[in-house]
Amino acid sequence: MRPNFFHHLHPPTIPAAQSRWRYTLGAGGTAVFLGLVLLLTGALEMFYYIPTQADAALSIQTISYLVPFGGFVRNLHFWAAQMLLVVTAVHLVRVVFTGAYAPPRRFNYFLGLVLFLLAILLDFTGYILRWDQGIQWALVVGTNLVKTIPLFGMNFYRMLVGGAELGSATLIRFYAWHIFGLMLLASILLVWHLFRVRRDGGVALPPPNLRADPERISSFELVRREVLAMIFVGAALLLLSSFSPAPIALPITKLTAISGDALAPWFFLWVQEMLKWGDPFFWGIFVPLFVLVLLAIIPYFFPQPAEHEIGRWFPKSNRLAQVAVALLAIVVMALTFLAAGASNA
Amino acid sequence: MPEQIIRFRWWLLLGSGLLLATITLVWWRDAQRPQPIALTPTLTGEVEYCLTCHADLAEISPSHPVESFGCVTCHGGERLALDADLAHRSMRGGGNPSDLSVAQESCGGSNCHSGSEAEDRDHIQRVMTSIQSTYAGAIANIRYSFGAQPSLVPEMGILAVQDTSLPSETGILSLIAFAPTHETNPMVQAFGANCLVCHLSVTPLEGDVYMREIGCAACHTPAAQSFPRGEIHQLTTAIPYSQCNTCHNRGNYDLGTMNFVERRDQPTRRIDDYYQPIAQFTQCEYTLDCIDCHTRSEAMGDGDIHANQSDMEYVQCQTCHGTLTELPQTKTLNAPNDIAFRLAQLNPVVDLQLGETILITEQGEPLWNTRVLADGTYELIGKATQQRFAFRPVLGSACEQNPDEQESSACHECHAVAHK
Repeated sequence: MRPNFFHHLHPPTIPAAQSRWRYTLGAGGTAVFLGLVLLLTGALEMFYYIPTQADAALSIQTISYLVPFGGFVRNLHFWAAQMLLVVTAVHLVRVVFTGAYAPPRRFNYFLGLVLFLLAILLDFTGYILRWDQGIQWALVVGTNLVKTIPLFGMNFYRMLVGGAELGSATLIRFYAWHIFGLMLLASILLVWHLFRVRRDGGVALPPPNLRADPERISSFELVRREVLAMIFVGAALLLLSSFSPAPIALPITKLTAISGDALAPWFFLWVQEMLKWGDPFFWGIFVPLFVLVLLAIIPYFFPQPAEHEIGRWFPKSNRLAQVAVALLAIVVMALTFLAAGASNA
Repeated sequence: MPEQIIRFRWWLLLGSGLLLATITLVWWRDAQRPQPIALTPTLTGEVEYCLTCHADLAEISPSHPVESFGCVTCHGGERLALDADLAHRSMRGGGNPSDLSVAQESCGGSNCHSGSEAEDRDHIQRVMTSIQSTYAGAIANIRYSFGAQPSLVPEMGILAVQDTSLPSETGILSLIAFAPTHETNPMVQAFGANCLVCHLSVTPLEGDVYMREIGCAACHTPAAQSFPRGEIHQLTTAIPYSQCNTCHNRGNYDLGTMNFVERRDQPTRRIDDYYQPIAQFTQCEYTLDCIDCHTRSEAMGDGDIHANQSDMEYVQCQTCHGTLTELPQTKTLNAPNDIAFRLAQLNPVVDLQLGETILITEQGEPLWNTRVLADGTYELIGKATQQRFAFRPVLGSACEQNPDEQESSACHECHAVAHK
């Protein structure tokens, strides 16, 4: 077979164990695919979206209801973004639960973590671009949180929202960050992350002398598997987008008076729940940052996975990291359900 | 062929089939969506898509052509949304933009029904301060009777309102909102709970005879009686007596138990339908419609805050018939901008011409559906029925009534029609 461009992106052969679904869960590759879907659908949305206070929500109504397949494209963008966060989180958990961050992959783990953070920020800025009553609470509370940072709070807030209070400058800033700043950074880091995967020897496995399974597959087989994954994820995305429309709400009439839902987007619900416990800086900024730092230092300060245990689930050698991440995931999910349940009650 | 490739081909076939099916589904669901119908009303210049679903709706009135007004000007709502829930969520007053809590926004504006005070066109302010909307006299009477206020001068209304046309003719500058739950006397509380059943902002009682909308539409959407509530899209100034009867003549208040006692009889003749069988009436009082005699300022208020019906009603028998010594007042329409022409245009039952002479009330309001004929007699055209009625002045008749005693009860002495 004559290799095409996509085959050239892969090594000629890789160990079969590196591409088993039950090992990788296909999460990283799916994230890349979702990123491409987001890029394409986002570019299409830019033809109609108007980032001004008066027109933002109306242009989203135009996209949703009047542009041929506009609502569908917007739903795709929405669902791909939500799936991206889930898939990225699964990817992160998989890497920790298999000890795959062990040297020489420590730096790439860090890059991945930054990409996860960027995905969250991209999701939040995109959510704000709706500029309707559904996002109003999260916008006001989220940006007010920044004010609580000691010393730099007010300056950082002004920088973020473009002035002393929320307004047209805020919307245009969030738009610029969403389509340019964060996007550019995420694109560069994504390419770097993928490059590092190959530079570090592909998906983590023990050194050749310690490997139980000598089988290798060709780049052709790898691309085939990737194509299959894309087809199935694509079909799921199409189904979701066709039957479950992205949220939309009434345009904001008065930015200071919150008339819509008092609910953060789902991926920040856990932070919203913690805010009920007291000091907004501590629970709203310090604790989430602490969580991030905790995740970042796992490869450097936690017990290292043993070489021979890499490439399989739940190695004994890095149990502490697994327990830490599992606890973190359980707490975050519990808080999320608590906040969502309270809002439904 | 290696087993891997065979397996791959099976999976590819399955995946591609699934993908094709979902794409077909997406396409099919998109094809199900209604084709958007755009309308750009000349008054707003902003495109709206309400007609996508509401194309069958009859135009509300000739004065509000849909090409000029569209839907959003009056109703609010999301003009671009094609999702029924979102599109309707920001509508003013639900389906009824004339609800008095939003009427200023929906019907008002200086180009519309808020008009300018000088021209007596601030209809919304007039209606908001009118007795039909404030219920001020009844509230004042009850509160005074049970010691909740020192005098009969109204202090409270259904809604808080202000008299904006200062200096106030009646001396009542504003009313605060009546809140029965804040009252200490149980009878006043009971009055609030049981007796406030027919002002302009209250949802009517159950039953066909009470079937009306609220706000401006309480009167101006008379066909509401023949449709399920909220399903009629019509405004008119040709309001039949039956519409007035959705509030009036429906029963009495029992002040002992502080309850509204519904009327139980089932009238077969119009006179009984028109009025409760408690008083005397002349033929014109039940043959005509209420609005054939009672004027705009009587029904909709004059901009001042009044207490009782008796403070507002002034049209009497003599308004049209005069007395033994005087003919009724008339006016020859010489100015093309006379308000009589505008009123006649809104409800074109007569073709008023420049130079014609019509009757006017003691306060100068035009009775634009009347005219003085060449032989000195008069003609009235029913505003709701378009029926023609001929009538004569008292002057020159065999009537013997003292010109100083012109209460309707005096006329009833001779002219009342037997009730039973």
